[in-house]
Amino acid sequence: MDRSFHVVLMYLLIHLGLIFFLYPNDIISSSDEGHWMPIMIGFLVHFVFLWIYMKGLSFFPKKNIIDIYSEIGKGISTFFLLPVFIYLLFVDIIGVRAYSEIITIIFLSNTPSWAIIVLLLFISAFLASKGAEVIFRTGIILALVFFPIIFFVLIASFQNIDWYYLFPLIDDDFHFITSPYYLKSFSAFIGGFLFLGFVTPYLAYNRKKVLTAAMLLIPFFLLAVYIPVLTFGRSTASTFLFPYVMTVDSTYINWLMFDRVTMFFILCLITFIMLQVSLVLWMAYQIMNHWIPHKPVYNVLALAIGIFITSVMIIDWKTVEKLLWLNSFLRFYVIFTVPLSIYFIGRRREGRG
Amino acid sequence: MDQFLTELKEKFRNSDDLFLQQEVILDVPVSFVGFKTLIDVTKTRTSLQKYIETAILSQKTIGELLNELGEIKEKDLEEAVSSIMTGKLLIVIKNHRKFVVIEPVPKRLSRAIELPTNENVLQGALSSFNEDIETNIGLIRKQINSSNIRSESFSVGPEQKTKLSMVYFDGQVDKKLVEKIRSMLDKNQDREINNLQDLAKTLGFSGWSVISRICTTELPSETVPFLRKGRVALFVDRYPFALILPSFLWDMFALENDRNYPIILMLSIRTVRVIGILVTLILPALYVALVAVNPEVLRIELALSVAQSREAIPYPALVEILLMLIILELIIEATIRLPSTIGPTITMVGGIILGQAVVEAKLVSTLLIIILAATTIANSTLVGIQNSLAVRFFKYVMVLLASIYGILGILGGIVLISAYLASIETFGISYLHMNYEKEGTKYG
Repeated sequence: MDRSFHVVLMYLLIHLGLIFFLYPNDIISSSDEGHWMPIMIGFLVHFVFLWIYMKGLSFFPKKNIIDIYSEIGKGISTFFLLPVFIYLLFVDIIGVRAYSEIITIIFLSNTPSWAIIVLLLFISAFLASKGAEVIFRTGIILALVFFPIIFFVLIASFQNIDWYYLFPLIDDDFHFITSPYYLKSFSAFIGGFLFLGFVTPYLAYNRKKVLTAAMLLIPFFLLAVYIPVLTFGRSTASTFLFPYVMTVDSTYINWLMFDRVTMFFILCLITFIMLQVSLVLWMAYQIMNHWIPHKPVYNVLALAIGIFITSVMIIDWKTVEKLLWLNSFLRFYVIFTVPLSIYFIGRRREGRG
Repeated sequence: MDQFLTELKEKFRNSDDLFLQQEVILDVPVSFVGFKTLIDVTKTRTSLQKYIETAILSQKTIGELLNELGEIKEKDLEEAVSSIMTGKLLIVIKNHRKFVVIEPVPKRLSRAIELPTNENVLQGALSSFNEDIETNIGLIRKQINSSNIRSESFSVGPEQKTKLSMVYFDGQVDKKLVEKIRSMLDKNQDREINNLQDLAKTLGFSGWSVISRICTTELPSETVPFLRKGRVALFVDRYPFALILPSFLWDMFALENDRNYPIILMLSIRTVRVIGILVTLILPALYVALVAVNPEVLRIELALSVAQSREAIPYPALVEILLMLIILELIIEATIRLPSTIGPTITMVGGIILGQAVVEAKLVSTLLIIILAATTIANSTLVGIQNSLAVRFFKYVMVLLASIYGILGILGGIVLISAYLASIETFGISYLHMNYEKEGTKYG
């Protein structure tokens, strides 16, 4: 049965979760003007790899990437899957740690971050142990409940903008490409769609619909960067750790009983992050299950405990940032090798057949 | 005395309502056996008399007469016992170990078809199911009048046989679903069914699930649309409800009766119910979160007035809200238990006197009373008592999470509850289906 709706929605939710936190700061810091250029270049990379990945997967109907790799030999499958596995664990560790830090910074200053990690991990592990379909269905309910809030906040955040800050439109020396910030910003572009290769045995989807959904993301990428820039101006916006969050925090809505709309906005996104963490956890479990078969509950529990211990050992935000930077190498490696290898394996098989 | 009768009597030792009457029909000595409590003896005999008279006139033999009344059976003591148990009349031919099971005039033990007692109907058919399983299936047939309605009977239980009927709409229903229910009922023949928990276990559901997998309704007018949408209704004898399988989340918000209003009104009513569940889940938790953990979220004027209303209250928000919530649960439970004549008194004492006094004694804040009242009212908008009970339970999970993590806890709780709802499957059909179609069943 076609489950494109589930997949597309999950794709959108995960990216929305990624776009609004670290991404605006990375883009604003990487370039002085014409921010749309780095955004569009990043998006183009995203789109091309998404296409290659899905094209490659389409050669293997009803198979996930673990099956595809193990088809061509044990050595090769380990060679490709081990980095993916480590990458996924890294994403979860850093993700859980970074978001617990963000939550502490923004509003739960008295709660120790390990307690927040426990909550995030507990919910994610519960979801992951129930399997992919449950994660996707949960995504639908959450989207129904939280999308209205997110759209409301997005519209409300236009309150203080000044269109003058849009200019200059062109950045002609392209120096942002070499900026470490720019490379870091790719965390929002790539890595979010890796799950498409894992869910194929469970949920069939239409490639075109996913590509259309990718187009839908463009305005969100642009809004996340431009709303802070238009509100504060580039030089002020670049000093904030979370420019978009600051912008939302500065809006004031007369008739609302809440002073900080940010809280709701961020928390809605955090729920999407929980979904992402659980999906990543589930993917890691799938790979682990390929090596050491066990019941999902035990494997996921083992992974979650491992992630908890490692993430608690990370001391401060500086280390988190360092890890984020280190992880971007792994991310680039994974995101180049996985779609391309799948594509070429598929191509070769097609040629033989 | 006849050996067969002695054996029968032995089976029903100490059952004083068993009657054994010696008779002579067409010069053959027979005995009538049955339960006085289940059979209207006088009326049955009168109607039998007519048969006997016509038999005498047309000079039939006893064998022919009995054949006319029912099938003649031999020697089967087990069958004789179970027929008597189900309220049939046995005519035993002396010294032959032969007997005939005939359908007597039963004692009226079921109530007539009445108004529903637990579900209120506005502008719709009023008749509701009663205890008698045959009447219930008859009500369905009357409501839908289609030859595609199938009803299969089962009788489950080792000692005490419970009659079950599975009713479905052939052509609409998923064959696999029917097959699965049938095989579960066949497989668990030796389980007793005394209540819905037993039934859930018989059907292979976990008894620990908070959300009931079985949707109950006492209205034929609700059951028939369910059947038409491909669901299966189970009827249990002596249980005045149709048990709809599988049950879905959307059943909490939608009643078939809503379709008696214009579409816009129907949609608004359903929206109200959706708001109802959100308010029930979020409002008490939000109070705890805003008072105890994240007061800075509120506009400053509001935060101050909340703080003011809580000024002299000696304990944390969590204790305050749990205290009142539990009292509220007690009131709800008490009004159900009490006779309806005393019920209103409890409502008055609980609602007005206690509410007023508890605020004046500075035990809880006025704001809290408002929130609790709103929550309780909102909770009652949901369709189905088992659903509103489940939501009432989830409310506590949310309050506890909110007291630890504030607003993050509320959102986390929503994710957790959504995940829980998403993980529920009935015979491989997800609980979250909006429009259940045939191919929804998976796992062959």
